[in-house]
Amino acid sequence: MENQNKPQKNNPKYFNKIRFGVLTISFLIILINPFLNYYLHISFIQGWYQSLAVGKLWFVSPLEGIESLLVSKQFFLPSVIGMLPPVLLALFMGRVFCSWMCPISFLSELSDKTWNFFSKKKRKDLIILPKNLLWFSLIGELIFAMILAAPLFVFLSPPGLVGREIMLAVFFKTLAVEGIIVLIVLFLNLITRRFFCRYFCPLGGLLAFLGRKRELKIIKDDEKCINCGLCDKSCPMGLMPSKGEGKGLYCWNCGKCVDSCNNGAIKMNFNK
Amino acid sequence: MDDFNLEFFKKRREIIKTLIISPLISLFYPVHASSGILSSPIGTNRLRPPGAVSEEIFAGKCIRCGRCVEVCPYKSIIQLDIKNGVYAGTPLIIAENIPCYLCMKCVEVCPTGTLRKIKQEETRMGLAVINKHVCVTWKGETICRTCYNVCLFKDKAIRLDELRPVIDEKFCAGCGLCVHGCPVSYKDNLKAINIEPIYSQNGKSE
Repeated sequence: MENQNKPQKNNPKYFNKIRFGVLTISFLIILINPFLNYYLHISFIQGWYQSLAVGKLWFVSPLEGIESLLVSKQFFLPSVIGMLPPVLLALFMGRVFCSWMCPISFLSELSDKTWNFFSKKKRKDLIILPKNLLWFSLIGELIFAMILAAPLFVFLSPPGLVGREIMLAVFFKTLAVEGIIVLIVLFLNLITRRFFCRYFCPLGGLLAFLGRKRELKIIKDDEKCINCGLCDKSCPMGLMPSKGEGKGLYCWNCGKCVDSCNNGAIKMNFNK
Repeated sequence: MDDFNLEFFKKRREIIKTLIISPLISLFYPVHASSGILSSPIGTNRLRPPGAVSEEIFAGKCIRCGRCVEVCPYKSIIQLDIKNGVYAGTPLIIAENIPCYLCMKCVEVCPTGTLRKIKQEETRMGLAVINKHVCVTWKGETICRTCYNVCLFKDKAIRLDELRPVIDEKFCAGCGLCVHGCPVSYKDNLKAINIEPIYSQNGKSE
């Protein structure tokens, strides 16, 4: 970004480290917080990424809030206000919740790191589905929830389940059966990287939809690009930053391609 | 053959119609869950936290964020799992295990308004009902007044009438303190005094 003018032998690869740090902190919040609540009765922070309260500041996950609104047909102002910060974040920055905060992302990345530690074999994406499946899962989920008259994502969402399982383990020394969904989602990573996130996560779909005119985008400098294709290989979503897909709908701004580029041809750019 | 095809297409048209129309209908009318995986977990001594909206829309409104569970200082509220169908993740109070002490912390934190902000004395989680065939005081075996002693609204919700406990539904909040205190149990989980969630619509009672 700033060091564009300096002569670069090695592009500084700090993006992923920062991102993994943020992911770890977001995960630690929901990991440590139940302990604070249960043993020390400090309830300054409550909940997890379905609804997180920091003091008097409430956040509500937009998809859960919309489902609740659609199914109950009742308007509740605090819930709508709580949905605003995540929605604004998505409007300006796209799917950054997914790649920078989501506990599923953290666990996937952790398992990736473990995998890379033990095996040098490169993993391939075995099943490639059409990317627009994401919209079908978003719309299908909403319609199905309305038919059933009960929101589904609220109790089946993998990111929410991670938080709930941790809370249940701390508070009641037990786990809920549906936690197996988290394991399935992580297992699907073996078939294709971020298989669930790519094609099936309705929350990701909603955030991608909100971020379709986002300000934060991945752009490529054609003059510096030597067509090595490293960025395309690095993308966990299976996108092609070299073909400008970093500006597209499905990019979640994780910045892996930025780090992968040895020539500084790919940058994360705000407002362009 | 033609007849068959006609039938087939008619049927298909019907199916497509219902597939398109039913979501549209559900857009404008609240649908009421009733049976199977849609059946409510509440019943005798199985209560929603204070201020809960009607059971018909509870599953739709609650986003299962678990903050009422986390904030409850008595650990009265538990979070249900997938065995309860679409009610998975909703909060429940099992009165005979840990009753609600009406501290009203959960209604403060609910982000969706599923637990409405109400005052302690306005809480109506259910109504205490004394089983006069089981209660030892009513049977005349001994004089027990545990339910009267533990009641938060003593002399209002439970008063003693000739030393026998009597419930006044004008004041009973249905918190379950009396159920928890009651020394007489029969059947599986039932006590001589039980809370019936009569204020939520489709609760089943025993």
